[in-house]
Amino acid sequence: MARQKPARPPKKALKKRLWNQRYLFLLMIPAVVWVALICYAPMTGLYMAFTNYRPTQSGYWSDLLNAPFVGMDWFEYFFQNDFGMIMRNTLATSLLTLLFSFPAPILIAVFLNELKNMKVKKAVQTASYLPYFISWVIASNIFLTFLSGSGVVNDLLMALHIIDEPVLFFQNGRYFWWIIAFANTWKNMGYNAIIYLAAISGVDQGLYEAAEVDGANRVQKIWHITLPAIRGTICIMLILAIGGILNTGFEQQLLMGNNAILNYSDVLDTYAYRYGLTKGMYSYGTAVGMFKSVVSFILVMGANKITSKLNDTALF
Amino acid sequence: MKRKLALLLTAALVAGALGACAKTSSGGGDGSAASDTGSGDAVAAVSNEGEMAEDGTPIISFFDKNSGTRTFDDPIAQELMKRTGVTINLISPTGDPAEKLSLMLAGQDYPDIVLMDRGSDIVNQYIEAGALVDLSQYLDKLPNVAKMYGETLNKTRYTDGDNYYLSNWYGYDPDPVNGFIMRYDIMIDLVGQERADSDEPFTFSEMVELLKQFKEKYPQMNGADSVALVAAEPGTSDNLNGVFAGMYGMKTYYVDDNGDLHYRVSHPEYLDAIHDMNLLYREGLLDKEWTSNNEELRNQKLSQGNVFGYIGAYWDPWTPSAALKQSDNENAEYLAYKVVADGHDADQTTLSGRSSLGWDAIAITKNCKNLDAALAFVDYCASQEGQDLLLWGIEGQDWEFVDGVRTPIGDIVQRYKADPTNVVNDTGITKWTWFVKNDRHEDDDTTNRIFWNEQDRSAQFAYKNITNAYWDTAEFDNLVPAGNSTEALKAQKVQDIINQAYPNMVNAATQEECDAVYQQMMTDLEQAGIADVEAAMTQSYKDRMELWGMN
Repeated sequence: MARQKPARPPKKALKKRLWNQRYLFLLMIPAVVWVALICYAPMTGLYMAFTNYRPTQSGYWSDLLNAPFVGMDWFEYFFQNDFGMIMRNTLATSLLTLLFSFPAPILIAVFLNELKNMKVKKAVQTASYLPYFISWVIASNIFLTFLSGSGVVNDLLMALHIIDEPVLFFQNGRYFWWIIAFANTWKNMGYNAIIYLAAISGVDQGLYEAAEVDGANRVQKIWHITLPAIRGTICIMLILAIGGILNTGFEQQLLMGNNAILNYSDVLDTYAYRYGLTKGMYSYGTAVGMFKSVVSFILVMGANKITSKLNDTALF
Repeated sequence: MKRKLALLLTAALVAGALGACAKTSSGGGDGSAASDTGSGDAVAAVSNEGEMAEDGTPIISFFDKNSGTRTFDDPIAQELMKRTGVTINLISPTGDPAEKLSLMLAGQDYPDIVLMDRGSDIVNQYIEAGALVDLSQYLDKLPNVAKMYGETLNKTRYTDGDNYYLSNWYGYDPDPVNGFIMRYDIMIDLVGQERADSDEPFTFSEMVELLKQFKEKYPQMNGADSVALVAAEPGTSDNLNGVFAGMYGMKTYYVDDNGDLHYRVSHPEYLDAIHDMNLLYREGLLDKEWTSNNEELRNQKLSQGNVFGYIGAYWDPWTPSAALKQSDNENAEYLAYKVVADGHDADQTTLSGRSSLGWDAIAITKNCKNLDAALAFVDYCASQEGQDLLLWGIEGQDWEFVDGVRTPIGDIVQRYKADPTNVVNDTGITKWTWFVKNDRHEDDDTTNRIFWNEQDRSAQFAYKNITNAYWDTAEFDNLVPAGNSTEALKAQKVQDIINQAYPNMVNAATQEECDAVYQQMMTDLEQAGIADVEAAMTQSYKDRMELWGMN
């Protein structure tokens, strides 16, 4: 990694330095090979998005290279037809998810940090990250059951006389975005909180003691010591979250959605899956997937730039 | 420390950001290895040049989309391998079989034999890719196939006139399918024993009255609000849950006077059928949550004891019926009744559409190196002896001829009724349903499956009540344009629009609103290019009729 303020090393020194660090480079080889094979080599398949690919008996490479070139046709079809609806759903679900799932783990971590009773702390922590290990298939059925017309949520709301008729949560598209956002948050917040807890544990205890001497109360200590201390981690997590903004999930939409609200539940990933894999339109699916990757890339770079301008914390 | 974390996260990020590309192209990535199979093209001379098992028998890999987590190690599997002299390497579908079939095709790493859904366009994709062996040139090696399949072989030919696959569950199969599946005890209570047992159909209006009576008489059941009708979640086909298209005599497509095909939404009576469903919904007779049900939720509802009936296939509520009979009373069972649209001829329904060409397609791929053994294996399975082994079990052990009639030995049928899943798994009988012919035995007129030798009450009612409803869907199967083409994209869009509008039409608060959704749907469909899709389907349909010599 680049050092802070690199001081223009002389040219021969660079060669020498490379030679001196030859064992480190040797150690790096497996990782480079892994990245090249797993992350970069498959990208050659993106060419499929610009062709009309049909698998035949002559082998993958031959099929790919001989497939008729169609230029931007698939992209054009996508932009002219479903682009607006799919992007709206993708962004709506992911922004709502971000709104809840970004602050939630920070709150959990900060509150857990304030807990002095170790037993309670451990219990709460375990309970909060348990959902992370439940598969979406089970989680979806939990939500479908809880939110059904005769489910717990409706029973409760009726008993409290907040509503008179059961709310049909899965038949109104607008509810669906909120349900997904809530489900995503519920599932991931405990696990993400571990990262913040790790960052908090690195804070110098002396700072708290000094603050106490100065007469700071709990809230002031959180505000002036804990939060600033984990600011770097928060920024990195935010960059990552923004980069993943088009990754709003796949299983949850597929499992909890239904035909009646397809125009609210269909996001980029489910759309690419339905067309590309279940209908065998490989080229079209690739085009949609590629569009997603390019936008994600731009978002990460953008977020990185902004946070590095704002407070010197950046990924690269 | 912070920098190291950043480095780690960068790596994770790069992997994540590129994950999407990796995902879409990975099917292609691992395919190059299994691609050189040119030798299979040479005609006639067939041999076994592929892998052999330790005991010297050729290995045949077999993908069965229906096999789930089953393993090929039961008595029937052993006997089948012994009799055919091959070792079967069963490839199980992990996850979604359709996805797996698509990926195997893209990567060209499909096994020797594939069993796939005949109703989807995957079969045509495999044929167009040149992945399947043309069986027509080997018919001399498939004498039993020719004998058993007969006319079916003519109809499963591809547009080029060759046979690339054999169907599974083929032959005319007048088994009833859809109807109003009502709680027998409540029927007796509301209309009396005689009417409940009669095979006279109900008109839709009569049924609506009956449902209303039920709601009045039983506002609450088992401590919960009663539900008159539960429906299966809207599927990916525009068949109005099978029942309502059937009541109005609609087929897969509407054929107009010029012989052109149209989606069912253009059927003159489509809107009437939708109005019927909308009426049920508006009157509070249809489960409000039918659109978001899934199989578990639906079965849970049907088992709760507060539901009067179900619309769909007569076998769908078998599990809830079993539960209710135990917890409630012997007559608390969902049994099939025929309901006919008002003013329609009860003998003109299409409630039981089935394809004489079967549910699945089984094909030998060009990756198969042990072609000779594969052909012999296929021929044996398709023969009557092979069918008896797969569906009746081992002669002398599971069944025997008594006075020339196939008769089960011991209590195997009773054990099956008590615990179907485990009996099938342990004995292996009907566990592997390959090349199945829907027909009774020629010699003794017994059913093709040992467990079907005695009908239970639910089947008896379905056979008795849902009569004159069978029609053969074969001519309309697989007409939707597939693969990478503009028509295919449009077809998917058309399907999406219909799928989405359907539940919203049914769930409309008023009939005007229902009509508005319908109008909007038709406008959307027009914009999505439904005319082009229908033109393509009409063309394929006409080509098919010509191929079958039915023009």
